[in-house]
Parts: sequence; structure tokens; C-alpha cells
Amino acid sequence: MEQELTKEELKAYKKAKEQLTDARKESFGKWLRTKGWKHLIGWVMIVYSVFPIVYVISGSFADADQFTSTLFTSFTTDNYRDLFADEYRPFGAWFVNTLFISGTAAIGSVFLSALAAYAFSRLRFTGRRAGLLTLILVQMFPQLLALVAIYALLVNIGNVFPFLGIGSQLALIMVYLGGALGANTYLMYGFFNTIPKELDEAAKIDGATHTQIFYGIILRLAAPILAVIGLLAFIGTSSDFVLANIILTKPESKTLAVGLYMYVSDQFGQRWTIFAAGAVLAAVPIVALFLYLQKYIVSGLTGGAVKG
Amino acid sequence: MATDFVARGQDLELVEVRKEFPGFVAVESLDLKIPAGEFFALLGPSGCGKTTTLRMIAGLETPTSGKVLIGGKDVTDQKPHERPVNTVFQNYALFPHMTVLENVAFGLRQRKVDDPLPKATAALEMVELNHLASRRPQQLSGGQQQRVALARALVNRPALLLLDEPLGALDLKLRRQMQLELKDIQSEVGLTFLHVTHDQEEAMDMADTVAVMNHGRIEQMGAPEKLYDRPKTAFVAKFLGQSNLFVGEVTDKSSETISINFRGNKITAPNSRIEKSSGKVAIGVRPEKTEFHESKPAASSTQNVLGPGKITDIRFTGVSNQYQIEIPEIGEITVFAQNVGRSPVVELGAEVWVSWKVEHSFGLADLPTGEEDIE
Ligand SMILES: Nc1ncnc2c1ncn2[C@@H]1O[C@H](COP(=O)(O)OP(=O)(O)OP(=O)(O)O)[C@@H](O)[C@H]1O
Ligand SMILES: [Mg+2]
Repeated sequence: MEQELTKEELKAYKKAKEQLTDARKESFGKWLRTKGWKHLIGWVMIVYSVFPIVYVISGSFADADQFTSTLFTSFTTDNYRDLFADEYRPFGAWFVNTLFISGTAAIGSVFLSALAAYAFSRLRFTGRRAGLLTLILVQMFPQLLALVAIYALLVNIGNVFPFLGIGSQLALIMVYLGGALGANTYLMYGFFNTIPKELDEAAKIDGATHTQIFYGIILRLAAPILAVIGLLAFIGTSSDFVLANIILTKPESKTLAVGLYMYVSDQFGQRWTIFAAGAVLAAVPIVALFLYLQKYIVSGLTGGAVKG
Repeated sequence: MATDFVARGQDLELVEVRKEFPGFVAVESLDLKIPAGEFFALLGPSGCGKTTTLRMIAGLETPTSGKVLIGGKDVTDQKPHERPVNTVFQNYALFPHMTVLENVAFGLRQRKVDDPLPKATAALEMVELNHLASRRPQQLSGGQQQRVALARALVNRPALLLLDEPLGALDLKLRRQMQLELKDIQSEVGLTFLHVTHDQEEAMDMADTVAVMNHGRIEQMGAPEKLYDRPKTAFVAKFLGQSNLFVGEVTDKSSETISINFRGNKITAPNSRIEKSSGKVAIGVRPEKTEFHESKPAASSTQNVLGPGKITDIRFTGVSNQYQIEIPEIGEITVFAQNVGRSPVVELGAEVWVSWKVEHSFGLADLPTGEEDIE
């Protein structure tokens, strides 16, 4: 096209083009000031949070002596093989234990806190206000504070009911359920209050009982908060170290968090690369659960599910 | 068609029903009787206890004292679903996670009625929405949601339908259209409708009987035309349309009329249209019954005349204009005049006299609160 232009036209065209790039340069400065800095911060944050993950993945494929060197300098799958080969450190069993304990605790705490939140939100009874206040107060103290008490309690319970004593996974689940109830109930209580009471009443007029209202209406509409609480409970329990460490005593009943720690706590043979491989695998169920629950969380937020 | 699956209307009776909340009386000793098949409107300002009354009838709230009877049967101690009553809530309260059809079928399924889906479809047909049966409530417009809520209530064959401001969330045009449809459906199914609203036009337009409620009690009850023509309290006179009210001591009494002295002016009302005939009495007249004159009208025993005063404000409202006339020593009077000829009939600031026929005056049982003169 440029061939058909006369010289003067060509000159004018070039000049216009230069001006345009000038304007672009100028507006880049403006873009940086108005929007660009946000992108910048965003990218810094992304790198900041992705780096450890990349580092762990790199480490999990590194030779044992190359762990601290630069990323992806060596590649081997030995770490993953060794992870499952060690019979004193049964990774497979830990994995299953973690899924079982965290899964049960997550489902249990979602269910229990939903029950409690329904009562606080929909029923009027004496002690309701006091109960709510107690919930806030109790959940302000970290469970760690109760460590000694929990230990002593479990030892004594174990004398009578061995299946609920120290060393039992069921005992650990029970402790998790109790600990998470306060905060979760409060979160869910707030959410239930946003579901219009008229929905309950419309159902009640048609003869629905509290049980039917709870399962048929409230739980269905509260799906987003159930998903969030289930996810948080799963992540929280599967990364818990302190309680799991004192309650689970036998190697084959340990969880991933406790078990994997054995690889790096060994004074003479810290096996960081194997630990990294274990950590990568341990993250898989959490990521999978998140991806699975995501649609409930998102659809709940966008679907206007709680609009009366 | 609709009568196949809807029960016949039953009458509703409230006997000295009273509701107290902690430290607050929401409904004071309410007596009410609604005949079967009637369209009854409960009208009142916000917070006067309309919803509370409905909730007691529905069984969602227990009266502190008193009885609720439906079809002559005492239902005060019955649970909501045991009463032959259903409710359309102000915000419709449709279940967001169910389709329109499932919403309508919900009550049928709860009652374990045979063939819930065909019956629900028939109910949707009645409100002309069966083509939207598979949608979710949030995919419907406000008016459509309202009709679904109506179908969901009607499908359960209630004898009495409670509607708590069902049209409150709709725009004016849709409101008028839904008013017609509601009225049609009501006469089609022959149910007793108890319709709560704070829109006086809606109440007068739709209802056979209107009850005006204030501060937890019913001030007056009757056919809309009667209520408008002959309000008995200052509250009704002002809440239902507009009124000019005049308060003064009774000066003359004859066999036909009484007169009060209102700041030196004589205002007369017929004995047949007064509630009280001694001491201080409030006499009122509707703005459209008054007229103004540019010259002083001749005094006569069949006319009340006030003036002269100045026109201080003219508001154009379409078919008529609303004129504010300020009369020295007397105050403001409101006059409506039809825009049949010139509009406005007189100019702002013109000097006029106001008159109305004695037979259009009405006397009230009480005095306007904190008012000694004109409202
Ligand atoms: N559960 C409750 N506890 C205490 N007071 C209440 C309760 N429910 C209603 N009230 C009070 O009772 C009064 C009547 O309430 P109600 O809901 O019947 O009003 P309403 O006539 O329906 O008003 P609106 O037109 O605004 O809906 C109000 O003053 C309200 O504050
Ligand atoms: Mg109300």
C-alpha cells in the first residue's frame, strides 16, 4: 500500500506514526500510574506465593545432594520411589490415615456446626444469647492451650474405653470436631441468618417439619458456606501437627504432617528431597478437593441462591 | 376450571385477639368477622400490626389472648399446616433451589397428595405460567414470581388466603394489572381473601370490605365507598384520601343539622352524618366536594362558605388540579377541581371563596391529634 503513496504522503505518514508511538509512550506512563502499579503488585504477590511451591516441586525431583542448589538442576524420580519403599515410614498408610481423619473431621464439623447454627438462627430458647457469646469466647482461645487437658483427658478415657484413648484416630477426630465447632458454628450462623425466614415459614405452612426444613431448604441454600467450611476444616486438620503428634503414637497410624516430619527431624539423615516429594503428594488431595468444591462456592456466590 | 381443586371459602372470625411483644403491644383486642368468599382488605400505615395479625391467623405467631375461628372452628391452638389457610408473602418466599413447578408441588408433596405434578401444572395454568414451569424463581420477573407464589398457595386448597402486601414490590403498571388478575382469580375460585396493604387506592379498588387499622386497633370497617364518604375518625379521614377538617364548639342544634363555630365562621353538618353532637366537634369535607368562587356566594342554609382567601399553590395531577387556598384567620383549605375547561381554572394568587353543600359535611367521633384547625 505504501508503494502507491507519493513521497510527501509517505513523509506525513511516517511523521504521524512517530507521533502515535510518542503518544503511546506517554500513555504507558499514565497506564503505569493509574492501573499498572496494581498489575505490578499482583505479579509480585504471585511470584511470592508460587515460589515455594515451585521450589518444593523442584526439590522433590532433585538428587539428594542437590536439594539446595538452583531449581531443576537434576531430575530423578528416586525420591518418590523411596517414599513408598521405606517400611519404617509407611507413607501409603499415612496418606490413607490423613484422608480418613481429615475427611471425617471435615464432614463431621460441617454437619455438627450446621445443626448448631440452625438452632441458633431459627429456634428461640432460653440461653440462646448466652450460648452465642460463649461460642465467640471459647473459639478465641487456640486449641493448643488445652493441649495438656486434652492429653490428660484422653489418657483417662483410654483407661475405660481404649478405642478412644491416646493412640486412637477416633480420639483425634473427636478432638478436631470439638475444636472447630465454635468458629464454624459462628460463621454458619451468620450465613443462615441471611436466608429469609419466610422460606421456612412458607415450608412450615405446607407442613414441613424442622428436619425437613433443615435438610430440604437450609442446607441446600447454604451450599457455599458448607463447602467453604468443609474445605477449611480439611486443610486445617490435614496440616495439624501438634495434636496429631501427641495423640497418634504408632508409626502406621500417623498422619502425613506428623509422619513426614520424621524425614527432616532426624539429626543425622535429614532427607529433604524425600520430604519434598511427600509434601507434593500430600497437597494433591487438598487441591483436588478445592477444585471439586469450587463450583459450589462460585455458583453459590453468583447464582443469587439466597435471594428470597 | 379452578374450582376443581380449590376448597370453598370459609369465614374468618377474630375474637378479642391481642398480641404483646416484650414491652410492646402490637395488636390490641381485635374483633373482626370476614364472611366466606369475601375480598377483605386490611389497610394501615407501616408498623400498625397488619403483618402480626396475618401471622396470628396463619398460625406463625400465637396470640397473647383471644381466639381465631375459621369456618366457625377454633383454630387458635392448631399448627400452621393444620389450618385451612395459606399465605402469599410479601417477598414471595419461593424456594430458590427448586424449579417453578417443584415450588408449586411442594405443599402437595408435603401432604402426600396423589399426582402432585399434574395438579401443580393445573395451578400454574390458572396463573398462565405453565410455559415457565421448568425455570428457577430468580429467572422470572417480579410479576411472574408473584403469580407463582399465588399458585403455590392456591394449589393447597386453602379456604382462606392471606396476602401480605403481595404487590408491594411491583411497579405501578404491573400493580394495576396484578390487581385485576388477583380480583379475577378470587371471584373465579370463590375463596376468602384477606389482603394486607398500605396502598389505600389498592384497598378501595379491590376489596368488598376495607378495615382501616392504626396502632394495633381497627379504626373503622366497611365498604370502600362508605368508608370514604363517611369516615368516623380523624385518622380514617386523613389516611383514606384527603380531608379538610374544622374543629369548634357546637353552637346550634336543629332537628336536621348541627353547627359549630369555627373561628367565627359557622360550619354546618347534617345530623345523619355526625358521630357526636356536644362539646368540641370536628367537621370535615372532602376536597373534591368543595368548590371555589371568584365572587362571594350568597349565604344560604344549605351551603357552608369560607373566605375570602388567596390561592397559594396549584398542583397539576392530571384529570384534576389540587388548589391550596390560604384564608386569613382560618388556615389552609384543599380544593380539587376537574380540568374540564381551562387549566388552571384560576391563577395563583387569585382571591376566592370556598363553599360546599351542608350534606357533604361529615362529623367525626374524635378530634385530630394536636390539631385545632384545618388539616
Ligand atoms: N417479633 C417481634 N418482636 C417485637 N416487636 C415486633 C415483632 N414483630 C413485630 N413487632 C412490632 O409490632 C409492630 C407491628 O408490626 P407489623 O409487622 O405487624 O407491622 P405492619 O403493619 O405489617 O407494618 P408494615 O406495613 O411496615 O409491614 C411494629 O411496631 C413492630 O416493631
Ligand atoms: Mg407488614
